[in-house]
Amino acid sequence: MARARNREEFPHAPLHAGLVVFTFLTVYPVLWVFTIAFSGKQSLALADLPESPTLWDRLRAITPWPERWSMANFASVFADQPFLAWLGNSALIAVATTILGVCLAMTAAYAFSRFRFPGQRAGMMSFLVSQMFPGTLMLIPLYIIVVQWLGLGSTRTGLVLVYGTTSVPFSVWMLKGYFDTIPKELEEAAVIEGASAGKIFWRIIIPLAKPALAITALFSFMSSWNEFILAATLIDKEEMYTAPVGLRFFVGGFSQQWGYFAAGSIIVSIPVVFLFLYLQKYLVSGLTAGSVKG
Amino acid sequence: MTKRPSHRLRFLVGLALAGGISIGVSWLLLRTERQQAAGARTEREAVVTLQSLADLVERAGRRGDPVRKALAAWQAANPSVRLARVAAFEGISLEASTAPEDKGDRAAPRRLTHDEKPLYDRGQRLRAAVATNREEGGARKPEIETDQLPSGALSLAAPILEAGEVTGMVEIEIQPVPPLPQPSLFPPIVAFLGPLLLLGLVALLLGERRLPLAAVSVACLALGFGAYALHSLASVQNDRVLSHEAVAAHARTQGGTARSVLAALGLEAGAPLQPGKWDVDAFRQPRGFLTGEGKLDPAALAANVERARGQAERALWGVGALALAILLLVGLGGVNRLAATLVAHRQAYLYVVPAMIGMLVLVFFPFLYGITLSFTDSNLYSVNLPITETWIGLRNYGDILGDFAFAHRAVDGSLVFDYLNFYWTLMFTVVWTVSNVTIGVTVGLVLALVLNTKGLALRPMYRVLLILPWATPNYITALIWKGMFHQQFGVVNHVIRLFGGQGLSWFDKPGTSFVTALATNGWLSFPFMMVVSLGALQSIPGELYEAARVDGASRWQQFKAITLPSLRPALVPAVILSVVWTFNMFNIIYLVTAGEPGSSTEILVTQAYKFAFERYRYGYAAAYSTIIFGILLVYGAIQNRVSRATEAA
Repeated sequence: MARARNREEFPHAPLHAGLVVFTFLTVYPVLWVFTIAFSGKQSLALADLPESPTLWDRLRAITPWPERWSMANFASVFADQPFLAWLGNSALIAVATTILGVCLAMTAAYAFSRFRFPGQRAGMMSFLVSQMFPGTLMLIPLYIIVVQWLGLGSTRTGLVLVYGTTSVPFSVWMLKGYFDTIPKELEEAAVIEGASAGKIFWRIIIPLAKPALAITALFSFMSSWNEFILAATLIDKEEMYTAPVGLRFFVGGFSQQWGYFAAGSIIVSIPVVFLFLYLQKYLVSGLTAGSVKG
Repeated sequence: MTKRPSHRLRFLVGLALAGGISIGVSWLLLRTERQQAAGARTEREAVVTLQSLADLVERAGRRGDPVRKALAAWQAANPSVRLARVAAFEGISLEASTAPEDKGDRAAPRRLTHDEKPLYDRGQRLRAAVATNREEGGARKPEIETDQLPSGALSLAAPILEAGEVTGMVEIEIQPVPPLPQPSLFPPIVAFLGPLLLLGLVALLLGERRLPLAAVSVACLALGFGAYALHSLASVQNDRVLSHEAVAAHARTQGGTARSVLAALGLEAGAPLQPGKWDVDAFRQPRGFLTGEGKLDPAALAANVERARGQAERALWGVGALALAILLLVGLGGVNRLAATLVAHRQAYLYVVPAMIGMLVLVFFPFLYGITLSFTDSNLYSVNLPITETWIGLRNYGDILGDFAFAHRAVDGSLVFDYLNFYWTLMFTVVWTVSNVTIGVTVGLVLALVLNTKGLALRPMYRVLLILPWATPNYITALIWKGMFHQQFGVVNHVIRLFGGQGLSWFDKPGTSFVTALATNGWLSFPFMMVVSLGALQSIPGELYEAARVDGASRWQQFKAITLPSLRPALVPAVILSVVWTFNMFNIIYLVTAGEPGSSTEILVTQAYKFAFERYRYGYAAAYSTIIFGILLVYGAIQNRVSRATEAA
């Protein structure tokens, strides 16, 4: 406390005032979505304006508070719309992507971390460079390969394969960093006791790397759950939509079902928002550390 | 002690592998080519048969007794045709039929029955196809339907026209033609064994001398594969010519049949028969190989044969190059060394291989394929053609980069921008990136400084609430803001009206449209900068400030001398990252402005997407994306140098 006085801090009251206003503006779009979701209507207006609105009416029209609370949008987005199927698609795809991506990444990361072999540096660099390939450049060939050659358009398998492999480089770099910190002595002791390489990997490295594996898996899950443009490009059957494509379907083009969109958005976002808040510190350190090294 | 490897043995194995693979692949190619040619010829002949019948029916008046008589006589002369039906849409009637089940009380003429709906539907499809193609002035829907029946027979249907309108159809089923024999195995075996024997003999004379052995084995490969390649080229050409001649002969035969049928019915009047016109494609456009009387047109034939030869030649060159590579790799010991490395590090490779295969198939191959596509004019219709057919070299790049006319003066002297021009989009992207990053850094930094105030109450709550925009999936953010900027019901316009203004139609002008995207992206991008700056601020030791105060530094001096330099190592990479993110921020532009109005607010990546998936110009879009990749590479190189300089400083 003594130190705070010494430093002639700003008075806190104006800071709080500014922060409250700014935070309200920041949260406003979120409140807006909640209002529409619980309004029970499909309109994107927060309130209906009369013919000649007074100041109060106008103020009412921007207040993010529903005129009448109703769960109708949540009930009918599941009952009348194929939203449950879309959520199911997204969940299945995200889980399968995570399993595939982490399995591929952990073995590769282990090899990159523990073995010295020709092509090691080139392999790591190629993973890094692949992160610079622009999405649209990949989109056209992927569309041709997945839809026209492999015939996997509008299937979950196609998306899982694409998401799974594209998540590999990021996961490999994350996991390799962690594997590097596991002391080699543990393995050397195991080798002396006659353990095979496979045994060392499964019995020593994987259990020790559980926290890193969990975080990598969560990132994999989150990016697949949130992915929009590949899914929108590779899938054109309505029953095979993922949740993001489905949400766009509610309000894209001439469709104006804002109530369904808002209710669906809340359902889709809640798990990832919490996941994100939990993972955010790893993300920041991973991203900035990676790029300082260049 | 390892045994000294034998050069002779290696070159022999190399030649056996290279020769075996190249000649085997060529033989397979020849076989597929022959099967395809046979299939195409069968289909062409079937279409000629079908069209001759359609012609006859039209000449016989399309319905009534003459049609039935003509069909009966025609069927008698065409034993390969299993059955034929003629239907008229007016009255939905079966006018004539030679099908075995259409006897007795089912004999034509009669109304089509309920179970013949597929026949009727087929007719309606043909009618619709003819109408669509005429309306569009193109050839998109097939006007002749060819289906393979489970029995192997072909079932074909064609429309019958009356004064330009489709009023009926003919349908025939044709016996399957026995497949052509496979190409002989004798030439490839000779071409494979001959050079091997030759190399064996020469090797005995030469001894273990590496370079002469290499030269001789390459010559042997060239001899064997070259001879077989020439043989297959001749065979391809020969097949082509024979198949054209067969179709021409078939057309003349059909012409003869039709003529005698017409003569028997006394219907010779009218335009003379033109059997050559019956050789049409699925859109009933003449293929152009036959003259009216059914003679081969030598020029068209030569061009077609030349094209087939060219394609085969290119494929064979590719195979030959592959064979040469294999021969040299094996012969000079590359494969041996590769195998030794693989065995020595087999564990490491075993762990890496699954991920590497996935990356090769779904990341690196698509990337290279995308770059290859950028040298073609591949589009929705030509995407399945071989690359060599659509190759146009650097033309896409020339078209994109060489067009500087992004603005011109209108008649009244005002500037008009061409929003599809690359340089407009590039300029817009740069403006977009710079303004977004500026907003993000400024807002994020100010918030971080405020939140870093010592002893500030409720700090964790502010922090979590302010991170929310970053945590929300960005496609949802984009759609929310799109809704809030709605012209009539949007909240933003309500706020403007609250203060007495008029609501704006946000997406009608480039400027306001840009503002919507900027607001959306600003909203979701400041938390990242805030979190990064906050982390860096908290790691500054308090003693630094104390020491500065002891020295009498003012608050501004402290900020400049301590805070900013300490922020730099964290902020520089964060800015670099967010530049790339914003540059590639597809979802916001695509979902909020969608480029409105008139593609003026597209950034490079959304523009490339629209060229690919809305205008279906795959090649052009691939070139566009490759240029984007180039820009990012240049940016990456500069960034690397700059950040190295900052680290050194």
